[in-house]
Amino acid sequence: MKPRHGMKHDAQEIYARWLEAGSKLAFAFALATLLLYLAGALPPLVPLAELPRLWTLSAAEMMREAHAPGGWSWLHYLRYGDYLNVLGISLFALLALICTARVVPAFWRSGERMQALLALLQVLVLLAAALHLFPGAH
Amino acid sequence: MPTMPFAEAAAAWWVWPLALFCLTFFLGIVAVIAGVGGGVLFVPIVASFFPFHLDYVRGAGLVLALTGTLAASPALLRSGLANLRLVLPLALVGSVCSLAGAVIGFALPVAVVQTALGVIIVAVAVLITLARGADGIAGVDPARFDWRSRRGVLGIASFGGIGFVGGLFGLGAGWANVPALNLLMGLPLKVAVGTSGLAISLINSSAAWVYIGRGALLPAVAMPSILGVMLGSRIGARLLHSMSSEAVRRIVIAVLALAGARALLRGVGIWP
Repeated sequence: MKPRHGMKHDAQEIYARWLEAGSKLAFAFALATLLLYLAGALPPLVPLAELPRLWTLSAAEMMREAHAPGGWSWLHYLRYGDYLNVLGISLFALLALICTARVVPAFWRSGERMQALLALLQVLVLLAAALHLFPGAH
Repeated sequence: MPTMPFAEAAAAWWVWPLALFCLTFFLGIVAVIAGVGGGVLFVPIVASFFPFHLDYVRGAGLVLALTGTLAASPALLRSGLANLRLVLPLALVGSVCSLAGAVIGFALPVAVVQTALGVIIVAVAVLITLARGADGIAGVDPARFDWRSRRGVLGIASFGGIGFVGGLFGLGAGWANVPALNLLMGLPLKVAVGTSGLAISLINSSAAWVYIGRGALLPAVAMPSILGVMLGSRIGARLLHSMSSEAVRRIVIAVLALAGARALLRGVGIWP
């Protein structure tokens, strides 16, 4: 692949701009939710004192013992400090999906059809991952 | 003044996250100076010497590598050291394979994953030791150097393998991406490093959803690690010019070899 020195990287610049704004927001949100969690401002679903016993168990065992939600069910538990913190961490995983989706029309408009198609396929893979639409998701 | 007995203090929930923060702060410093990703140090060390189940360590390692690369990517993209157009085909294959690696990691017995992790980490230590020759073009300014990537099919295939390993073990995989981009695909070293970071941010995002859905992202493990590495890397960047990177690199190789051997021996039940 030939580099595009001297050209204005529109899609690349858009990706950088959205990623920069998104990662700052995600870091701020994750830090705020961590402080709420640690300060006990929101009660955790899994009591903090129980953690040293539970984190020695596998994720599947811990979810059974703590009656913790799997898949996207944890969205119903955002009133708990630990799951609000999971939302903060999830925003990091969401950023690539949002930024890649944003550059699909930018590539298409600039006539880079192959790049638009690759970006679209990347969005579909990330979307399938986020929605757990793949074998062995649960 | 009443004192808390050590055993009681060790049982307190906050002791291990605090220890994790201190360790990752140190790892952040060392990783920048030695030029390796924090994730590749984090997973074997924490899996070997902390009480957390491997599921949470892999989940935290993956998110740790993801957040580090997300923060660095905008500047790398603007400077031209990361190339989005080049990353897209590599990340597409890497994302699918990373997803598969994460799913398979949860299906395998933990001893098998631990043993394989030990083998991989020892191999990484050997790879970092042997990769010294690649520094030869480090001083080239990629904006003035007319480079063109080559061996695209091989490069895409290698990113498939690297993505699988990254998803399976929760590693950032910069240790493999950079040699693949630099030595195999012919990118200048600085562009290889920048492009590797951007690729990791896309590839790890797909596997992260597996860990989130499986309940393997424990905030008490992931968040102190993310903050520790972030703060440590800022200090590391300031110390970069005042410390001998070769000496730190040797320490990193020794630590990787030790942590890899420990993970291997733990996996086969010799040193539980």
